[in-house]
Amino acid sequence: MDGTADIDLDSPAAPLLEVRDLRVHFKTDFGVVKAVDGVSWSVNDGETLAIVGESGSGKSVSAMTILGLIQSPPATFPSGDILLRGKSLLKMPEKQQRRLRGKEIAMIFQDPLTALNPVFKVGDQIAEMVRTHQKVGKLVAKRRALDLLGEVGIPNPAVRINQYPHEFSGGMRQRAMIAMALANDPQVLLADEPTTALDVTVQAQIMALLSKLQESRNTAIVLITHDLGLVASHADRINVMYAGKIVEAGSTNEIFYRPRHAYTFGLLSSLARMDHRRQERLTPIKGVPPSLARVPKGCPFHPRCRFATDECIAAVPPLESVAGNGHLAACVHSDQVGMANEERLAHG
Amino acid sequence: MVKFVVRRLVQAIFVIIAASLLVFLGLFALGDPFASSGEKVVPPDVQAALRAKYGMDQSLPMQYLTYLGNIFTGDLGIDFRQRREVSEMLTAVLPNTLRLALAAILIDVIIGVLAGIIAAVWRYSFWDVFVTILTTLAIGIPTFVIGIFLLANVSGIWIFPVVPRSFTVEVPWYQEVLLPAFTLAIVDAAFIARLMRGSMLEVLRADYIRTARAKGLSERAVIGKHAFRNSIIPVVTYVGISIGVLLGGAIITETIFQYNGVGFLLFNSIRNNNQPVIMAIVVFGVIAYVVLSMIVDILYAFLDPRIRLS
Amino acid sequence: MSVGGGAPEVVPEQLLAPTQPPEAVAEPEGGAPTGDRVKRGQFRDIWRRYKRNKLALVGLGIVIVLAVIAIFEPILTPYDPKEQNLLNTQQPPSGEHWFGTDVLGRDLFSGILYGTRLAMIVSLSVVILALVVGITLGAIAGYRGKFIDTLVMRTTDIFLAFPFLIGAILVVRIFGDSVQAVIIALAILAWPTSARLMRGQVLALRESEYVEAARSIGASDTRIVLRHILPNAVAPVLIYAFTSIGVAVVAMASLAFLGIGVPADEPEWGRLIGQAIQVIQIPGKDYLWIFPALAISITTLGFAFVADGLRDSLDPKLR
Repeated sequence: MDGTADIDLDSPAAPLLEVRDLRVHFKTDFGVVKAVDGVSWSVNDGETLAIVGESGSGKSVSAMTILGLIQSPPATFPSGDILLRGKSLLKMPEKQQRRLRGKEIAMIFQDPLTALNPVFKVGDQIAEMVRTHQKVGKLVAKRRALDLLGEVGIPNPAVRINQYPHEFSGGMRQRAMIAMALANDPQVLLADEPTTALDVTVQAQIMALLSKLQESRNTAIVLITHDLGLVASHADRINVMYAGKIVEAGSTNEIFYRPRHAYTFGLLSSLARMDHRRQERLTPIKGVPPSLARVPKGCPFHPRCRFATDECIAAVPPLESVAGNGHLAACVHSDQVGMANEERLAHG
Repeated sequence: MVKFVVRRLVQAIFVIIAASLLVFLGLFALGDPFASSGEKVVPPDVQAALRAKYGMDQSLPMQYLTYLGNIFTGDLGIDFRQRREVSEMLTAVLPNTLRLALAAILIDVIIGVLAGIIAAVWRYSFWDVFVTILTTLAIGIPTFVIGIFLLANVSGIWIFPVVPRSFTVEVPWYQEVLLPAFTLAIVDAAFIARLMRGSMLEVLRADYIRTARAKGLSERAVIGKHAFRNSIIPVVTYVGISIGVLLGGAIITETIFQYNGVGFLLFNSIRNNNQPVIMAIVVFGVIAYVVLSMIVDILYAFLDPRIRLS
Repeated sequence: MSVGGGAPEVVPEQLLAPTQPPEAVAEPEGGAPTGDRVKRGQFRDIWRRYKRNKLALVGLGIVIVLAVIAIFEPILTPYDPKEQNLLNTQQPPSGEHWFGTDVLGRDLFSGILYGTRLAMIVSLSVVILALVVGITLGAIAGYRGKFIDTLVMRTTDIFLAFPFLIGAILVVRIFGDSVQAVIIALAILAWPTSARLMRGQVLALRESEYVEAARSIGASDTRIVLRHILPNAVAPVLIYAFTSIGVAVVAMASLAFLGIGVPADEPEWGRLIGQAIQVIQIPGKDYLWIFPALAISITTLGFAFVADGLRDSLDPKLR
């Protein structure tokens, strides 16, 4: 788990899932919305990559694009590609894509109550997942559903399998969703804010479940969230997104202890941390995230950034290496940020 | 679930009794329902017989009980004109109204649901606009205008029988039912199409549809199974109530086409001042409507598991 | 990469973050009584939104025309609408009689105009009556809850159990054929729906925060209902009122068509059609029923468009 963030295209082993310079633009009445604007990352078996950002940073859209859930008009894909073990997903015909959905790549969503169909039994919905991709009979599918429910820790699965989503508690529903997602042993699991709608204690349980399942199945997990705390204990690597671009990427340790982008630094400063002394001031980031129809020129974060100078407005800073171990940042003042962070850590 | 059904049943019975009380008070208490009025003279022996049957010489509460008793035993009196048993008259025409109602429902459900789904799935397309315009017009133009229009221009053409026609002309029921059923169906189809479209649009935005797609289901399965099952619920409710209304007698449509159903019977009875028949049909209409509303409510609970358990 | 078929998974809304800080929100909620300036601004906003809907404007035009005809009818009719001339029946439209004459020799054009006035008067009376009763009972039921609520709800159940026309026929039979009977009959059938609507609104608003605030400063119940709940609850009821006017017109016409309600000598639209139906199979007699039919349809459509327009402009979220 040492964070080999491999965006080097010449690397010998193709990564499991790779996103290359992906752009997703929407034509709207407000202009062109650049939801995802030149994003590249990859993830391998058994790894957990976290994509962190506020609402409107484009993190969900990138995940949904992988699964082909983005409607093509009004969305366009001006450039970039998504590769699953080297095979292009964007260029694949719809029928083939559908075969991958739920089989090689599966997704769990934020609100399990609305994500499950209220008029069908939970067991049937899981069985449906199985039967869509495997040629098995109803009974076999149902038994598989039963096994899965047990695997995700739902007590009394034989009873639960015939119940409806609203009869489950929030945490159990999310477990059921996870069971459904893993029904066909996918290689990649996309988790879009899987715990946001849940109580804090349940959050921990769900994340623990995901870790356990990942260990036994060697699944790659892409964890999309705005919750840095969640990420700290469960991710191997982190991509920080802002206004449709990745602004910083690196291993969890690097990001948390040595942030080099002003935005990341701002995020961390606004977090209350147990390992710091009590007198530390929480400093929120002033302003609001920009509308993706009117992204600020140059570095999109500059209007809210305390390190910003004219250089930041002139051009979009490229995402480049700042520490040689796969840690990248797109900030002109990355050194300054580094120093400000040292200071902060030193003064508790 | 059982508790729910029982509760609804009790409510239905209560409403029927209360409504019949209103009818009773209206007709009996506010005047002699069996007296002659206007030009129609009620034969005195019939008057006397009816008065006796309904206990009109007794106190008001007793009258009401007699009235209720008569209804529940199916004894609805004798009509003024032909001295037939009213219950006989009613049961003679009831099958026609049933046929009409079912034919109309069949037509408007098929057309309405299909049109609604297509309009929703291909939103903003030509079809969507077309359906929206048509349904607006169909809802704005009253049923009887549509009926008259069809009567004036379509009856007598092709398979549609001529109206008016004499008794001697035999017309098979499946032809006879066409024009009135179609007239009734047009407005309901418009409502259903709109309802289905709106419901489907809302459902298509739901998260579980996204989940269904994420599972790799074909678009046909997503719409035909997941979306449909959820969006059809309000339509079912509407159709149920529609049946209730139609069973109560589509007076206007039946009259326009001289279709021999409950509504036409009512119309003729009004013209002839045939009180017992009028009363019987009114009560029947109420019962049909209330019973169907109850069935609809129970059906709704059956279709939507979320309601079942509360 | 696209999802087949056509079902839209449009731009996720979070992407369109507000371009101004959230504090600068537009209009204040209806009902907050902070003086006339606010009210006038609101009306202008509503009108602005209303104007955008072409159909709604058409509907408004229709309604205005109907109102003008209804008010000025005595001046506008070339003939006495009730004057029969049995020597001159069923004349097709001509220079003398623009719409022709009906089965009783009455001038159809005047008849249609008179029918407009009748329709407007009756339907307005019905709707106002039904609304007054319905809103009051609905508000009380919704606000007080418990026993009164159950009582009102059961009562509406009973009235709603009557299929529309049957109930109307019943009432008219009891009260005899007259315009007043028709008004009462239709109002009796219409009040339950507005009562339920109002009750629903009041129930929802009863728990809102500004009501709590008013209660906490000791405002009396009546005051709360009148000043805080009513103005906000009124919107859907108002929309319903406009649709109801159209429905009332059709109901009255249906009754008259059957020969019930409005007395025979009144050239009401429905009755004109009813009288025309006897000769309908004879070709060339279309003018006898087309004009009243058009009148009914245009009226209903006009009010329906206005109702739709109101719905969109009073609360865009409602759509």
